[in-house]
Amino acid sequence: MAFHLHLGFISASFCYLLLVVAQSLTGDFGSAAIVACLSVACLDFFFVEPLFSFQVESPLDTLGLAAFLIVSLVITKLVTKVRAGKEISRMNHENLQKIHSLAQELFAVEPDAKGGECLLQPFCGVFGIKAVCLFDAASAEVHVAGTVSDVLERKTGEVYIHTKDQEDPENGIAARCIRAGGRPTGAIGFQGLENPAQTAGPLAALAAAHLERTRSFHRASQAAAAAQTEAYRTAILDALAHEFKTPLSTILTAAGALREAELLTPEGREMADTVESEAARLGRLASRLIRTARLEREEVKPWVELIDLDSVIADAVNQYNRPSTGRRILVIKECDGCEVMADPELLRLAVSQLLDNACKYSEPGSTVALNIGRSHDEVVVRVRSTGNAIPVGERSKIFDRFYRGIDARLIGPGSGLGLFVARKIVLALGGSLDLDNNAANTDGAVFRLALPTPERERYGATAAV
Amino acid sequence: MAPLQPCSVLVVDDEAALRKAIKTSLAASGFTVEEAATGGDAVSVIQRRPFDIVLLDVNMPGVNGIDACRKLRALAPRTGIIIVTVRDAEEDKVRALEAGADDYVTKPFRFRELVARLRAVLRRIRVDVTAEPAILQAGDLKVDLENRMLWKSGDEIRLSPKEFDLLSFLMKHQGAPLTHVRLLRAVWGVEYGGEFEYLRTYIHMLRKKIEDDPAKPQYLLTEPWVGYRFRNPFDPDQQGAALEDE
Repeated sequence: MAFHLHLGFISASFCYLLLVVAQSLTGDFGSAAIVACLSVACLDFFFVEPLFSFQVESPLDTLGLAAFLIVSLVITKLVTKVRAGKEISRMNHENLQKIHSLAQELFAVEPDAKGGECLLQPFCGVFGIKAVCLFDAASAEVHVAGTVSDVLERKTGEVYIHTKDQEDPENGIAARCIRAGGRPTGAIGFQGLENPAQTAGPLAALAAAHLERTRSFHRASQAAAAAQTEAYRTAILDALAHEFKTPLSTILTAAGALREAELLTPEGREMADTVESEAARLGRLASRLIRTARLEREEVKPWVELIDLDSVIADAVNQYNRPSTGRRILVIKECDGCEVMADPELLRLAVSQLLDNACKYSEPGSTVALNIGRSHDEVVVRVRSTGNAIPVGERSKIFDRFYRGIDARLIGPGSGLGLFVARKIVLALGGSLDLDNNAANTDGAVFRLALPTPERERYGATAAV
Repeated sequence: MAPLQPCSVLVVDDEAALRKAIKTSLAASGFTVEEAATGGDAVSVIQRRPFDIVLLDVNMPGVNGIDACRKLRALAPRTGIIIVTVRDAEEDKVRALEAGADDYVTKPFRFRELVARLRAVLRRIRVDVTAEPAILQAGDLKVDLENRMLWKSGDEIRLSPKEFDLLSFLMKHQGAPLTHVRLLRAVWGVEYGGEFEYLRTYIHMLRKKIEDDPAKPQYLLTEPWVGYRFRNPFDPDQQGAALEDE
């Protein structure tokens, strides 16, 4: 047509250039390059001397044709590149929208939803993936959605083990390691995911975020459940304290009044005395049990002051030095003036636990010896009992919470809290409580309770005046 | 075991059996006793007629013991109030004392401990109405408030000004549990309240000066997490604290 219009070389060149640009805008680089080459041939054939021949006589024409070819190819390349960039941008935009939709769907999934399918279904739905497989390392569970092959499951597992992402174009699989705070927490594999190089990473990040959200929810639920349990426990202990002690107060008041009324015979008064003292003992036992249960959970807060260890021990011994225990308690003092800095209530409780233990597990009719002595800057109390040797394998565990030795379980009921609480108290008082291995013999047990001696210098200068 | 003078007691407890036991026992010992089942009932009864002492349980449905104590104290400033609580409820004890209670007994309590507490409170509220004496005496201790001097068994004991203020304040309220906050504010000033270490230190120094055996104090008793109580070991009415631990 350009030939029929009798256009010159330059005008024809621009027309052909327009043709090449038009082809670049609609076709790919190859077709546009072919059109450019054909245009050069047409220009040579129709507009360059000798006409109707592919020969070129003038070097200037050769230069013109070469320039046309180069310009055409450059324009073709640039236009194709711009089109490709636009296409990538469109795809990225689409992917972004899909990821956004997926994120919204994932947020709509309840964190406590059972089964990983609830989590994975949105991946299949939004991205049209054939199959998804998720390995959660925290629960060691594999969750799947879609038509899952063994290869996908295997590849997903391998990615977690080697903490290295994998691509398997042959099977259309892309697997990514899931991390939280830089630490691998699982892996996710996709089968049939379009453009996995671009999308698999963000999808894995979304899966990681959702997994972490689920875990945080579970942690918060567990913490809430623990707090509720603690609240129930406190409520039960308070109720026990009240419900137990009120009837005991009634019994004590009634028995005390009976005795004071002087209406009873000597035998009757003796019986009233017994009722009163045993009810008081029951009250002390209840107090001790409730206190022990509280101290098991709570931090020990001692009210420390200078006290006389002898009187605390005498109080504790009086509780157990009675016929009903079937044991005799012998206090041996190896030093004078055993003053310590301690909370008398708590220390009495700790010593009572040791005596309770000794009386419960020692040989019936035996003597429990309680030695009080000094060693360097410590006051040491040793509680020695016979017939209750602690096996070597159990010695490191007896102070553990809820631990009860095999023999202890055969002898009778117990909570496994006594020694745990006693040690907790003594540690809070700055002392130590251990099984005395040096003194351990084959037929008994020796517990060593040590408390620091008072630092008198500390007192006297600290107060404000 | 008759009271020193005729004494009326209002027993406030939601537990009918305990109310009855206390009423019967105290009546047999010469007290005039009335009962109330709730804090609200107690307030109504007090509005109708005065009582020397109210024995008030802390754990009650409706108006609890602490709130009832506050209301009773507002209605009857001269009535002695003894709170009944359980062990390990130190916060309740402090709150009750701050709400105007004069003393507390801890469940389960013995009858003679209860009577000792009633007598001690009764004596204190009756002494309170009289003018403050210039000389305080308790056992073998004698304090001259005017000249700020202390004697033990006739021998003068030197005290620092703060030690004297603390001891005299405790002796003025002998038999009564005094909270840390109250002691700190009375002796150090109203801006004090949390400096328990000061008290611990001064009580320790006072014990060294006035007690025969500071590790087994007879005068200055510790009420753990609550405060301190000055007890006259020679006064049978002030033996309630000692009986509690038996």
